[in-house]
Amino acid sequence: MNTIIQCQGVSQAFGSKKVLQQLDFTLQQGEVAALIGPNGAGKTTLFSILCGYLKPDSGNVLLFGHKPGSAALFGKVAALPQDAQFDPAFSIGEQLDFYGRLQGLSSKAARAETERVLALVGLSEQRQHKAGALSHGMRKRAAIAQAFIGAPQLILLDEPTAGLDPVNALQIRQLISRLSAEVSFVISSHNIFELEQLCNKVLYLEQGRLKTETNSNADSQQQYLTLQLEQDDSAAVTQALSALPGVISIEAVQQKTLLLCYQAQQNADFDLAVLQCLAANGWRYRNLTKGKTLEQKLFSSV
Amino acid sequence: MANPLSTIQQCRLYAGFELQRLWLTRRGLMTLAATAVIWFFLLRYAIAPASDLISADGFQQFFRDVFGSGGLTQLFSWPAPELAVYWVLSLLILPTFCLFFTANQLCSDLERGTLRFLALRSSRAGIVLGRFCGQMLVQGSLILLTLAATLSLAAWREGGISLAMLTAAIVIAVNLLLVLLPFTALMSCFSAMVRSARLAVSLAIVSLGLVFALLSWFIFYFPDYLFVMGYLPGTQVLQLIQLQGWITLQHALLPLAQTAVLLTAATLLLKRRML
Repeated sequence: MNTIIQCQGVSQAFGSKKVLQQLDFTLQQGEVAALIGPNGAGKTTLFSILCGYLKPDSGNVLLFGHKPGSAALFGKVAALPQDAQFDPAFSIGEQLDFYGRLQGLSSKAARAETERVLALVGLSEQRQHKAGALSHGMRKRAAIAQAFIGAPQLILLDEPTAGLDPVNALQIRQLISRLSAEVSFVISSHNIFELEQLCNKVLYLEQGRLKTETNSNADSQQQYLTLQLEQDDSAAVTQALSALPGVISIEAVQQKTLLLCYQAQQNADFDLAVLQCLAANGWRYRNLTKGKTLEQKLFSSV
Repeated sequence: MANPLSTIQQCRLYAGFELQRLWLTRRGLMTLAATAVIWFFLLRYAIAPASDLISADGFQQFFRDVFGSGGLTQLFSWPAPELAVYWVLSLLILPTFCLFFTANQLCSDLERGTLRFLALRSSRAGIVLGRFCGQMLVQGSLILLTLAATLSLAAWREGGISLAMLTAAIVIAVNLLLVLLPFTALMSCFSAMVRSARLAVSLAIVSLGLVFALLSWFIFYFPDYLFVMGYLPGTQVLQLIQLQGWITLQHALLPLAQTAVLLTAATLLLKRRML
């Protein structure tokens, strides 16, 4: 596997406030990483460092083996920076054309590329409009469109669906999901549901430190199922499921929600056994998810 | 997969985009309209009457009697008096206009975050140099337009345009661009430091004033260092007024060197700052 991002001992302070402290992590090709953390945890600062907008006080950051901001990364690394706005003097189309030209495309290819990326975010009709004439959501989608110009291999998205209506947010999620087969992503968001859908790696930042670096593909013999019931039959269900082979523990994490821990080696079809048990007892369920939810992984100890 | 552009190619694109901003955007057209109005008044109420005065034999004789045959009397050697007045007027007022006109090379983009989009696709040196070249192209366009208007005025009075007048116009254009180079580069520096064009202008005026005041004070006590004054941007202007023709280029080296230093400083400033 190729390492795309390599961060070693990255620290950053603004005045006396330490924003990032000794961050170490890597991102491999094909991984989609979620960058999570409370407000002020250092997510945007880390984004700025990865994009080359800010040089860290100490530590090494390499993207594809090059320092952020290097000429070798132009067109290879794209980003949706937080709060960045288009130039109000030019239309969205003119600016995207210009960005394409800066990435080395010919005028004709840049125009075609603008059409393509605007279509990706559903803004083909807005090509001639200036940023000021667009709604907040449209401006956000146009900013996302600029990140898809050319053939980037790594896309850093800071709050990509914040401020978007549900339909457009869904479209953007589908777009990221579709492209994630070819492109690596780092996505910062407070929407855990969204990150759970899109990401296979989690970087949890808290007070500038990397608290958790988890990989959802981690192969472990001890596995989890999250079961959400229609009705609150938790006690009876727990009792029945505890009799299934391979069960290690059953925990009621919320009302009507059980977290089942089991030995995969002992019972490879544990999920089927659970469904059969529910059907046999006439218990209806709303949702059965493999593994812990991202929320449980990150905050179960809180 | 497209190849990354060299800094020169990036400069060319940025400069072209700035030219597009002048000619194809509403704001640019407003700038052109404002320039046209200002220069209409200058041509109508300053250059035209002054040209009539200069072309009068009696005035030239009077001027020579008072100031001698050197220095400012060189103004009478210009092939058209309109060009002579344009030369003096432009040399004196354009550097000040330049501070205001070129203040927004980077500030607004820094404030809006647009530079974050650009920095993912081009080097910071490319951005600084490209914007600088763009501003020079824009100023060059405006100078050519106003020179064309001045030439038209001279042609209307003299009944045609001579080759000497055209050559003189080219000399003026080249020299004005040389004079404006360090001022534009100075604004590259200030616009890389702050997030508002107004603040960049204020900073430029205060800094230039402060440097001049401090140097004057220093030279008062150490007169041997008077030559240092000659390294300030625009100090060659008073010498240029007294010259005419291609000999004016003997003062080209200083603004070129000042520009190189200031652009290097602007690039370093932008490289060091967080976008």
